[in-house]
Amino acid sequence: MTTHAMKLVTIVCEAYAKAAVTKLLRDVGAHGYTLFAVEGDGSRGRREADIPEFTNIQVEVIVPPEVAQILLTRLEKEFFSRYGMIAFESDVRVLRPNKF
Amino acid sequence: MEILDAIRANLLSPAVLFFALGLMAALTKSDLKFPEPLYIGLTIYLLIAIGFKGGVAIAEAGIAKVWLPALAAMMLGALIPLWTFPVLRYGGKLSAVDAAAIAAHYGSVSAVTFIAATNYLKAIDVPFESYATAFLAVMESPAILVGVVLGKLATKKAGEASGASLKQAMHEAIFGRSIFLLVGALVVGALCGEAGMKKVEPFFVTPFQGVLALFLLEMGIVAGRRLEDLKKVGPFLLGFGIVVPLVNGALGVYLGKLTGLELGGATLLGVLSASASYIAAPAAIRMSLPDANPTLYLTSSLAITFPFNITLGIPIYLEIARKLYS
Repeated sequence: MTTHAMKLVTIVCEAYAKAAVTKLLRDVGAHGYTLFAVEGDGSRGRREADIPEFTNIQVEVIVPPEVAQILLTRLEKEFFSRYGMIAFESDVRVLRPNKF
Repeated sequence: MEILDAIRANLLSPAVLFFALGLMAALTKSDLKFPEPLYIGLTIYLLIAIGFKGGVAIAEAGIAKVWLPALAAMMLGALIPLWTFPVLRYGGKLSAVDAAAIAAHYGSVSAVTFIAATNYLKAIDVPFESYATAFLAVMESPAILVGVVLGKLATKKAGEASGASLKQAMHEAIFGRSIFLLVGALVVGALCGEAGMKKVEPFFVTPFQGVLALFLLEMGIVAGRRLEDLKKVGPFLLGFGIVVPLVNGALGVYLGKLTGLELGGATLLGVLSASASYIAAPAAIRMSLPDANPTLYLTSSLAITFPFNITLGIPIYLEIARKLYS
């Protein structure tokens, strides 16, 4: 079994940013993503996640390191000032690298 | 004294008392919480029930009676942002994009406020045109579009993908689940007519009041959690969130009379004009005017205007209508 180095980019943001974020993922060339609803507290206040529109989402996407760079740079430039959001990357190893 | 009686009748209804209970739950930091799927289930039920009933009423009354007040409602929705925008911009010294965002919320409508108003009228035996639900359906979107355009013009960022985000806002405003369900149920109701109503009545009419009470309990919690944000929005928006609904409510009632509605129907048009959206408008505005501050528009529509209308506003608009019709 051979595994390959990739980056896992995790984005936690307000649900309103969903359409913009998933569009960005497509634009930078991610092949897919996983998304789920979360709640929590942060610098912009607690998100109660009581009704779907006020919830937080977590988006996870595995991409090659160079794509992760572009993705994080664009998030920082275009998104951070507008939406309640955090983003970070971590190292992961995957099977079938062509899927990402 | 009449107005006090009207207010008392409203405050002592199960729906409004449960709303107050929800507010209490939030203020006392109770761990009472509705699971999200229940909230979604309740909204679907309420929108379908009210839409279906409205559709049946349209079938009974005929389009000829409905189109004129519906058109007036739509125009009013589109015009409200045009006068509230300068008030917010110059009176409240808000940034142009914030003013446009709030203006959009106040032109658009709150379905729950409307439903609570129909419930109130029924409880005190004031007849109304059930097809008024059609006004609810047509008033939700125009203001959002006007607000987005105002915001785009004011911020002069037209170059940067504004066409796309306007399209997005339009999609959200027209195909968002609440308007989609409401219009869909109106059409289904209009096609089924009274015969169809008989079949679904035990499910969509009889338990309606109970479901509404349950839903308002949840909305009390949701609104109550935002009461803390009142400190952040300042006295101007606090006043705005109460005075503007009163002015718009009176305008709506007057327009209802002009277009031939009965007292009950005119009251409902007043309620619609007075109400501010807190579901459809924030979703559309957050996407198309992301630079507007959501605390400002959400707090004023959800934590100020919505509780005001549910408790005091609705009976006040009825009294305005009574004065106008006497």
